[in-house]
Amino acid sequence: MNGVSVDINHLKKGEVNLGTSIMAVTFKDGVILGADSRTTTGAYIANRVTDKLTQVYDKIWCCRSGSAADTQAITDIVRSYLTYQVGSDNFERPASVNVAASIFQELCYNNKDNLTAGIICAGYDEEKQQGEVYSIPIGGSIHKQDFAIAGSGSGFIYGYCNENFRKNMTRDETVNFIRKSLGQAIKWDGSSGGVIRMIVLTKAGIERLIFYPEETYLVPKEFEIPQAA
Amino acid sequence: MEHDPFKWGRPDNATYGDYDYRISNAKNTEFPSMHTQQPIVTGTSVIAIKYKNGIVMAADNLGSYGSLARFSNIERLIPVGKDTVVGISGDISDLQYIERALDELEVENDYDGASHPFKANHIHEYLNKLLYQRRSKLNPLWNAVVVAGINSDNEPFLAHNDLLGVQFSSPTLATGFGAHLAIPLLRKVADKEEDVAHVTKEQAREAILQSMKVLFYRDARSSNRFSLVTIDKDTGISFEKDLKVENMSWKYAETIKGYGNLQKF
Amino acid sequence: MTSIGTGYDLSNSIFSPDGRNFQVEYAAKAVENAGTSIGIKCEDGIVFATEKLVSSKLLVSGANKRIQTIDRHIGVVSSGLVPDGRHIVNRGRQESKSYKGIFKQPISIPQIASRLGNYVQVYTTANSVRPFGISTIVGGHDSQGYHLYMIEPSGVYWGYQGIAVGKGRQSAKSELEKLKLPGIKVKDAIKEAAKIIYTAHEDFKDKDFELEMSWISEEFTNGRHEFVPEDLLAEAKKYAEEDEDEDDEDDEDDEDEEMAE
Repeated sequence: MNGVSVDINHLKKGEVNLGTSIMAVTFKDGVILGADSRTTTGAYIANRVTDKLTQVYDKIWCCRSGSAADTQAITDIVRSYLTYQVGSDNFERPASVNVAASIFQELCYNNKDNLTAGIICAGYDEEKQQGEVYSIPIGGSIHKQDFAIAGSGSGFIYGYCNENFRKNMTRDETVNFIRKSLGQAIKWDGSSGGVIRMIVLTKAGIERLIFYPEETYLVPKEFEIPQAA
Repeated sequence: MEHDPFKWGRPDNATYGDYDYRISNAKNTEFPSMHTQQPIVTGTSVIAIKYKNGIVMAADNLGSYGSLARFSNIERLIPVGKDTVVGISGDISDLQYIERALDELEVENDYDGASHPFKANHIHEYLNKLLYQRRSKLNPLWNAVVVAGINSDNEPFLAHNDLLGVQFSSPTLATGFGAHLAIPLLRKVADKEEDVAHVTKEQAREAILQSMKVLFYRDARSSNRFSLVTIDKDTGISFEKDLKVENMSWKYAETIKGYGNLQKF
Repeated sequence: MTSIGTGYDLSNSIFSPDGRNFQVEYAAKAVENAGTSIGIKCEDGIVFATEKLVSSKLLVSGANKRIQTIDRHIGVVSSGLVPDGRHIVNRGRQESKSYKGIFKQPISIPQIASRLGNYVQVYTTANSVRPFGISTIVGGHDSQGYHLYMIEPSGVYWGYQGIAVGKGRQSAKSELEKLKLPGIKVKDAIKEAAKIIYTAHEDFKDKDFELEMSWISEEFTNGRHEFVPEDLLAEAKKYAEEDEDEDDEDDEDDEDEEMAE
C-alpha cells in the first residue's frame, strides 16, 4: 500500500479527553456554572486554559465532560436545534432549559454506543424566572437537580458539596461554594486543573468570572497534602 | 487546482499514491457492528406481592453510578393508565425510554376517546414484545420489569419481564437482589396462588416493608428511601412516596467485639 | 363558474391569468356542501361540535366519530371530505409525536396549526396532487392557555375566538358573534354549540344528522380533549330543541306584531 496508513483505533485511543471537574448550582437569582480548564491527552495537558462552559442559547449553557470531540458535536447540534427550530417560529417563546436539556438527553441516549459525554445543562428560565440544572450522565438519562457535579474530579467532592449546598443562596455564597468545591476537586484529581471559570445566569444577564490558582483557590496552606505525623 | 476538498492538505499523490479508500470505509475488523451496552446509572430491586384484593409493590429511590450513590430521587414505580403500575430496575436511561414509550402508547390508545382503557395484562404484553424485540436486535433494554395491576377480568395481575425477553408470573415477584433476599420473606406470606385469597392488604404491606429493610441491610446498591404502591381492585392505586426504612436493629453491634470470642475489649 | 372551459382549472400548479388557483376554489366548494362544524374558545376551555349527516339508517348511531384527537390536549373537527379529515389528523399525530420525541413536551397549539397549515399548503402547489377538500378546526390547551385555529383548503390558517365551517357556516357564525367570545364558560358553550348546530341544520333539513360534541377544559377534563359526557350532551340537545320550538313561537309573535302595525 502506497497511501498513508492510518490506524483508526489508535486515533480513538489518543482522543482528547476532558478529564474534568464541572458543576452547576441554582441559587436565589438564577444559576451559576463552574468548570476547571484542563484538557488532557493521556497524562499530557493538551490545553491548560480550556473553556468548558459553552453557550447553547442566550441563557442556556452547558458544562462538558468526556470526549471533547463528542461533547462539542452534541452541543453544536443542540444549539442549531434551539436556534433554528424553536427560535425561528415567531410565536414561539425563548427556548426553555428543559427543552435544551431534553435534546441533549435524546442525542446522548440514541447514540450511547458511540459517545463518551457527560453533560450538565443549566440555564435561567425566562418564563419560570428561575435557574434550572439538568444532569445528563453517559448512557443518556436525564436528572433535574438543585445542583449537579460531574467529571472525573467530582468523585472527590460529593461529600463536601452535599454538606455545604443550601437552597436559595446569594450570588456571593454560591460563587464561594463553587470556588471551594472545584478547588478541592482540582486539588485531588490529576485530570483537573488550571483556572476556575464560572458563568452567572440571572434575569439581569450573563456574567463571566475567572479564578486563578495562586490568587484564589490554591492558597499554599490548602494545597498541602496532609501527611501522617 | 484540486477541487475535491477531501484531497486538500494530503501528501502529494505523485509521491505517496492515491488515497486508500479502504481506510475511510474501514469497519471494526472483529465485528460487523457492536452495541457496547452496559448499564450506567442503575436502580436496584423492585419487589411485589399479591394479596386478596390487589398488589403491594415497592422500589427504592436510588440511582447508582457504579458503587457511587449518585442520584437519590429516582422514581421507579411508574403508573400507566388507571390501574397499572410498572416497577423498573436496571438502567435508568432505559427506564426513562420505557416511560416515554408507555406514554406514547397511552396517547395512541386514547385517540378513540379512551373507550378501551389499558389493563395490566395489556401493558405486560406490550413490554414483553418491546424487550424481546430489543434483545433480538442484540441491543437490549437493560432492565427487569415488574408489571402490577388489575387485569381484564378485574383480578390482581403480577408479572415479570426482563432484558432477555423472559416473562413469568407469580404471587410474589422481585428483581435483582430482591430475588434472593425478599422472595423467601414474601413467600412466607403467599407461597402459592391459592394462598393469596387469605392474605390481607396489611399483611402484604408489612411483608414488603420488612423486605425493604432486609434489602437495605444487605444490598450495597440500595437506599433507605423508597416508594410503595398499593393497587386495589376496589379502591384503585394509592402511592406512598418518600417512605423511610424503619425499625432497624443495629444496637446489637455494641456486643460484637473482635472477630472471635476471645477478645475482651 | 367563469373558470369552466378555460383550461386553467385543470391543474394545481397553473394560475389563471387573473391570479387564481381554481383547484383550490373547487376544494372549498367541497367544504361548503358539507355538514357544519364549529369551534368555540371559552374563558375556561374549548368546545367542538359537528353536524354529522347520517347517510344511511343502517349506520350504527354514535359510532363513526367525526371529531378526532391529535394528542391528549388537541382536538380536531373538519367539514368536507371525510377521508381527507382522517388523513390530516394522521399527519397531525405524526407531527405531535415527532415534536414530543425531540422536545419531550407536548406540542403547542400554534405550532401544530402552523405545521398542518404548511402541510395543506403544499397540496396546492404540485400538479400531481389535489388540495384537501376540508376546512379543519384545530383547538387545544397548552402552557399558554386555550387556542383555536381553522385551516382552509388553501393552507391559510388563522386563530379564532369562534369559527364555523360547512354548509351552515353563515348562520352559525352570526350566532357565534352574538356570544361575545371568549367571555363564556364551557358548560354554557356546550349548550350554545348544540343550539347553533341545530339552527345550522336548517340548511340540510331533508337529511338526518347526529350532534357530536367534544371539549377541552382544565377544570372538567384535566386539559384533555374528550367527548362531552352523555348527560351534558343530552342536556344540551334538550336546550337546543326547546330553543328551536321557542324560535318558531317567536316567529309567530313577530308576525302578530307586524300585523298589529
